Amino acid sequence: MNQTLVGARPLLRAALKQDARTIAPWIVLITALSASSVLAYAWVFPDTHSRAQLAATLGVNPALSLIFGPARDLLTADGFNAWRAGALGGFFSALMAIFIVVRNSRADEDSGQAELLASGVMGRQTRLAVAMLMAVLASIVLGLASWLVTVAFGGGWMNSLALSATFTAAGLMFTGVAGISAQLGSDARTANSIAVATLGVAFVVRGYIDASQSAAWVVWLTPLGWLEEVRPATGNNGWPLLLACALTAVLAAVALALHARRDFGLGMVAPRRGPARGTTVASVWGLALRINRGPLISWLVAFAGLGTVFGFLATSVGDVFASNPTMGGLIAGGATTQTGLLFEFLITILRLVGIIAAVFGVQIVMRIYAEEIDYRVEPLLAAALSRARYLASNAVIAFAAPALGLLVAGTIIGLIAHTGEPDLPVTDVIGQAAATIPAVWAIIALALAAVGANPRTRLAGWLAVIATFALTILGPLFRLWNWILGISPLWHVPNVTTTSPDFSGLTAVAGVTLALTAIAFAGFRHRDVI
Amino acid sequence: MNRSNPAPSRQRAPGDDGGAVIQVEGLVKSFGSFRALDGLDLTVTPGEVHGFLGPNGAGKSTTIRVLLGLLKPNAGRVRLLGGDPWRDVVSLHRRLAYVPGDVTLWPGMTGGEAIDLLGNLRGGLNETRRQDLIDRFELDPTKRGRQYSKGNRQKVALVAALASDVELLILDEPTSGLDPLMEAIFQEEIATVKTQGRSVLLSSHILSEAEALADRISIIRAGRVVETGTLDQLRHRTRTTIRATLDNPPATLDSLRFVHDARLQDRTFTGTVETSQLSAAMAELSQHTITALTVAPPSLEELFLRQYGTDTTVEAARRTTGGAA
Repeated sequence: MNQTLVGARPLLRAALKQDARTIAPWIVLITALSASSVLAYAWVFPDTHSRAQLAATLGVNPALSLIFGPARDLLTADGFNAWRAGALGGFFSALMAIFIVVRNSRADEDSGQAELLASGVMGRQTRLAVAMLMAVLASIVLGLASWLVTVAFGGGWMNSLALSATFTAAGLMFTGVAGISAQLGSDARTANSIAVATLGVAFVVRGYIDASQSAAWVVWLTPLGWLEEVRPATGNNGWPLLLACALTAVLAAVALALHARRDFGLGMVAPRRGPARGTTVASVWGLALRINRGPLISWLVAFAGLGTVFGFLATSVGDVFASNPTMGGLIAGGATTQTGLLFEFLITILRLVGIIAAVFGVQIVMRIYAEEIDYRVEPLLAAALSRARYLASNAVIAFAAPALGLLVAGTIIGLIAHTGEPDLPVTDVIGQAAATIPAVWAIIALALAAVGANPRTRLAGWLAVIATFALTILGPLFRLWNWILGISPLWHVPNVTTTSPDFSGLTAVAGVTLALTAIAFAGFRHRDVI
Repeated sequence: MNRSNPAPSRQRAPGDDGGAVIQVEGLVKSFGSFRALDGLDLTVTPGEVHGFLGPNGAGKSTTIRVLLGLLKPNAGRVRLLGGDPWRDVVSLHRRLAYVPGDVTLWPGMTGGEAIDLLGNLRGGLNETRRQDLIDRFELDPTKRGRQYSKGNRQKVALVAALASDVELLILDEPTSGLDPLMEAIFQEEIATVKTQGRSVLLSSHILSEAEALADRISIIRAGRVVETGTLDQLRHRTRTTIRATLDNPPATLDSLRFVHDARLQDRTFTGTVETSQLSAAMAELSQHTITALTVAPPSLEELFLRQYGTDTTVEAARRTTGGAA
């Protein structure tokens, strides 16, 4: 064993034991994503007619291409699975790998655990190498689990293998990305943000290319596009996977080289001196803004970026509609107009932006608890600060910032879409974005109630985001009943351009939001604070 | 140094607690099946520095967190500055300052910013004292939270607390991580606080610190206060150590009825005596011709160990302290 990797084996064993419980849910959920589509396909689309109808409607919907990639074959279960689970599975697999690497390298440096390890008999590169090795192992186990379970549920051997291999490849590549981001950022939060932002950009670029039906070579520009070119169930090309492995090796080598050059506990950029007096953080409101300043700036930039991408996408989907026989037929028959179809597309896009905004809001809410377990709330509450005011200072940001992000994205989408489709008023798009806000707030309020009243249940916040995503984006593919789809607050957002939009559902959602917020404040007043 | 006089200045915080700053009776706090506080009683009178001593996990921090209204008591009566710490959080906290034992600062925020934030939340800081304390503690307020060492993080919290004009300071092992020079400055600052008639609850592990500063002391063990009083009172309740050289040592130690743990090696005698029986014991010993004598009052360390050490640890400690005397 190389001198720089001394101690890798015992550390890997200990770290795997520690982390297995955190990794397992990712593997289970991503495997379920793949297995469930094979299982559900036969049940939801029992005959050729329903399958052809799926291919002709949802299969050509550019909003869905944005998320799932191009639908190459929706007439077989494996083809449907490759579409529904391919891009998403790769995305989540990459997220899993990022979190494993950062949690086991950078986060340990922040908490001081790594200092104990580094002072032991341990090579310079051991900790990072073990963290990356864990993510690699997790990606491989995920691929195997997904392959075997999908086959058990009726998937084809080769087709499922090709699909599951793309999950593993996505995990591998972003293991390398996270390895590098953990060297650049000066703490775990920054490292995670850099890596997740890279993944987000790669995903959106891939989505834009697929939804706008760009030239075929363009898809090779993003690593996630390579995985798409594996074409599970419709080609099963293995060689783009080799490309992914090569990229992984290069990224990992760069990460290790950077790691060897950097001081323990610091990033590549040395921290500067700060103000000796508290001016911007002189109150609890200023403090809440300061704590969330980094995420606020990066998220708002991200929303502006999403708005730009989706706006340009909206200008190009017109051609997609026109070239599609089903939709062309609807337009010709007077059932709808080109603008109407475009607005339906934008409603779906804004729902997606809403889910992303909910992720933002829930993240701010979770930060409230993270501050508490770091014992940073105690000295504040030991001053003349009521618990209600403390919670309010964070809750206001958790509600306002995602709303602002949604409006920023909506405005930019509207402005750009208007240039391509002059019949589409900018105010309609902004109005639709505004109507989406109460639904997003409901999810954030649920997370707030959990963190406020009983932090042990705080996972409910993230589950609400996942459930809303599943019901809103995946639910319609399964032709679920309305009462189930209605569990998602986004389902109640009406189309604001109809002659008399029905706001009754949204009003109920707002009522639930208020009730959950009240629970959060009442619960926070009455529970023990760490 | 006169420790027997707590000198309570009764003009402050009049209420229904006989003027006590902190009045805790029968406090119980459980976490699940673990009973952290089990009928704790504690009284701090105005103007006194009250030492709050106990081993790790005895319930010192839990008591303080109840006093700060962070934890809700399961049973018992808790009064703080004449109010209810759970209900009157904001109004009470304007009148107190707190220093935790393990200070965690906001990673991206400078020490100066943290001091001002904590001060502003309490209703403002005394500007001259703020600057004076930063100078005295040699704190660089422009560094960010992550860059401070443990002792420097502790200084940030100390400056924020000591620079405020409050009636009560609640300090939870405030000097952990401070170097001896800074520890001395801390003791001077607390002495100043005392002359201003303000009250201090000082939880500490450093017995010399409590011995130097505290007017009264409470020793907590397994969630209950087992001893409370001035240092003299506590000393009175325990035994004094005697070392004597006897020219005419007794054949057997059984004749010494008032001396406990008696031991004789050659002509060097050691033993312990109840404070109330000191005269009687000396009368017994003097029959054996004393040529050298040291009588040491129990150190706080001995009091402390006697209260919650096991027999073996007390024995071991007595050997070491006896050897040093």
